[in-house]
Amino acid sequence: MSTTRFRPDVDAPEYKGGYSPYDIIKEGTIAIVVVGILVVLLAVVFGSPDEPAITIKKWSNAAPIDFATTALSELNGTSLSASYGAPYNHNGPGQQLGPLALARWVGVRIPINSANDFVINPLRSQPNNPVLKASLTAWEKARASTRSTWVANYTKVAGRMTFTHGNVVVPATNAGPVPVLINDLTHMARTGALDTALLSGNGFYTTDYTKPLLFIADGSYLGSLAQKQHMLGDQWGMMNETGSYPGQPWLWLYTFWYQVPPMNSSHSGDLEVFAIMIVLTLVLFFLPLIPGLRAIPRKVKLYRVIWREHYRDT
Amino acid sequence: MALYSFLAALIPLNNYGHFIHWHWLYISYANFIVICLMVITFVAALLLPFPGHNRRKGNR
Repeated sequence: MSTTRFRPDVDAPEYKGGYSPYDIIKEGTIAIVVVGILVVLLAVVFGSPDEPAITIKKWSNAAPIDFATTALSELNGTSLSASYGAPYNHNGPGQQLGPLALARWVGVRIPINSANDFVINPLRSQPNNPVLKASLTAWEKARASTRSTWVANYTKVAGRMTFTHGNVVVPATNAGPVPVLINDLTHMARTGALDTALLSGNGFYTTDYTKPLLFIADGSYLGSLAQKQHMLGDQWGMMNETGSYPGQPWLWLYTFWYQVPPMNSSHSGDLEVFAIMIVLTLVLFFLPLIPGLRAIPRKVKLYRVIWREHYRDT
Repeated sequence: MALYSFLAALIPLNNYGHFIHWHWLYISYANFIVICLMVITFVAALLLPFPGHNRRKGNR
């Protein structure tokens, strides 16, 4: 008769102690009721975060120069979204993991042409504006090289842009229709029409906020608000909530990786953090099969504290 | 609704949060308090005796 060696992390010895009745339904019910009452009471006393949504209308009224400068970056292709790559366009490498260009492999799933989607197409929806209509016609009929020259000339003087009497003003330059386009887009944004145009272009349902969010994120207004609320990536923002409310401390490990090199400065930081968390999740998932790690509870002996009376008796 | 707003205004939390910034540690007071409460609850769950333990022990 062969005897198998007892493996302490895998085998369980037969329990020969006493048994006690335990009403888990009763305990679960009590826990739900107590937690429910606590949630209601705390919500009544503390309220809840009620930060109003940030719209292009709000942005362009609060910071018209920032909006106009961002609109120009959409037109000249230098904004973050315009040069991001997949899934929006082919203008950048996209997220990649070392030699693995994962975003490029998935492809351009949400095609965004920054100049057309954020500037030209919304302006086309504006009625009864002959000057704008002529400017759009000039833009559409011009060669790509001419457009580039106009945008480049406007970009050169954009550093001296001012917002005067409700208009975006730049020093005179050979920029073709670009000054009219930027100024009218700013007017459109300040009335809220641009928010509507960017949403309504996505079909019957207006719940896809991809375009307005990308546009807003390309400016510096959103970042400045996020910084005040401690929500930037380098402020452990994933853990935080607006105001003085507690946030999501259980996300500390996700946001921790964004604080350390190379993820804190990498173009592909999101994908790198994703990969790290996948590996750690797999380690957790297969913990019972990993020698050494699975022995930690046995060696730490915390269970002997929880069941101390049982171990005191035996 | 008015009563709710009144009660919620007792402890207003919509102002900008305060943060603990000490060397590598960077955490809001609100999150820190929640974490401390969780740790206290965990330690209490370890150390406090089970309710009704003595009664069950007597029945054994």
